[in-house]
Amino acid sequence: ESKSSAVASSQIFHSDGGEMEPETMEIKSVSEYFTKMHIGSVMSRQ
Amino acid sequence: MEVSCLELALEGERLCKVGDYRAGVSFFEAAIQVGTEDLQVLSAIYSQLGNAYFHLHDYAKALEFHRHDLTLTRTIGDLLGEAKASGNLGNTLKVLGRFDEAVVCCQRHLDIARDINDKVGQARALYNFGNVYHAKGKSICWSGAEPGDFPEEVMMALRKAAEYYEANLAIVKELGDRAAQGRTYGNLGNTHYLLGNFRKAVSSHEQRLLIAKEFGDRSAERRAYCNLGNAYIFLGEFEVAAEHYKKTLQLARQLKDRAVEAQACYSLGNTYTLLQDYERAIDYHLKHLIIAQDLNDRIGEGRACWSLGNAHTALGNHDQAMHFAEKHLEICKETGDRSGELTARM
Repeated sequence: ESKSSAVASSQIFHSDGGEMEPETMEIKSVSEYFTKMHIGSVMSRQ
Repeated sequence: MEVSCLELALEGERLCKVGDYRAGVSFFEAAIQVGTEDLQVLSAIYSQLGNAYFHLHDYAKALEFHRHDLTLTRTIGDLLGEAKASGNLGNTLKVLGRFDEAVVCCQRHLDIARDINDKVGQARALYNFGNVYHAKGKSICWSGAEPGDFPEEVMMALRKAAEYYEANLAIVKELGDRAAQGRTYGNLGNTHYLLGNFRKAVSSHEQRLLIAKEFGDRSAERRAYCNLGNAYIFLGEFEVAAEHYKKTLQLARQLKDRAVEAQACYSLGNTYTLLQDYERAIDYHLKHLIIAQDLNDRIGEGRACWSLGNAHTALGNHDQAMHFAEKHLEICKETGDRSGELTARM
């Protein structure tokens, strides 16, 4: 959408409809996976 | 000495954690080249590569890797992994404007989370759902209409977004997750704003502000002040709006965010125009103009000149008004802004 510098007075405050919060991305961590694996193997040895 | 896939992946993970996504991508791609037989590790690499590309705004690449992750987790029967891949894929499809596909992913994320009784996962899927419907509503019809006065299709999407945010809030309140509540209140406030429910928007943004202060999150605080200012404008409470925009300006300066500082000055200039305090309006529009020039933002500069022309006209400063009108016209010609050019000539 091309933006114009001449904006109607009713539109000047909500050109983007408010500032949104960030998306939450799901994390899969290699280090956490190995920590769990390590704990798992220690527990199974006991 | 040969470096293992795992070592490369761990370094990629470390780099992404500190925000160096570009370098992180290189390590993850090198890890894939080396290869691994551990499919959980491969899934984590695909997922983090997808997220790194998402943060770098390379959504085509993000889509590619989140798809690889989804296929892999389905193949190995990793339900939790599939839920996470679906969530990430949904977020990516949303940004790409592919809302119907995004909804399918959000639903899969939610279904799995319910099946495995994962409350955190359910809450996150509901938040993503809300974001998809909010973005869908905004994408259908935007220009020209006032909040609360959009076509029914837009209002329906926005109402759905509000429902999903409310469902999310019920869970994150139960979990005591204040950070998640803060995010949801912020987006719920924006949804109510677009629906024209300005009192509800204020109430949500007030909650968002409170939580941002609890965490000392100044960026979130600044966003809340700006969104509150916008809602008060539509409630006709211009003095209150100005106070909130001033807080936005103060925080933008503390955060050294020049673009946001310019936006806050512009909003304050417009608010003082509504209050018919043209001297103050000129003061803020000049501040906006200076920053726009520093940032080489020609559209912003044009808007400042247009506003300054109007304010000087209201004060009867015809020479000044003419000066800014000419400057506005010159910028419109340069930027190819036809509608601005026509207005400037009037």
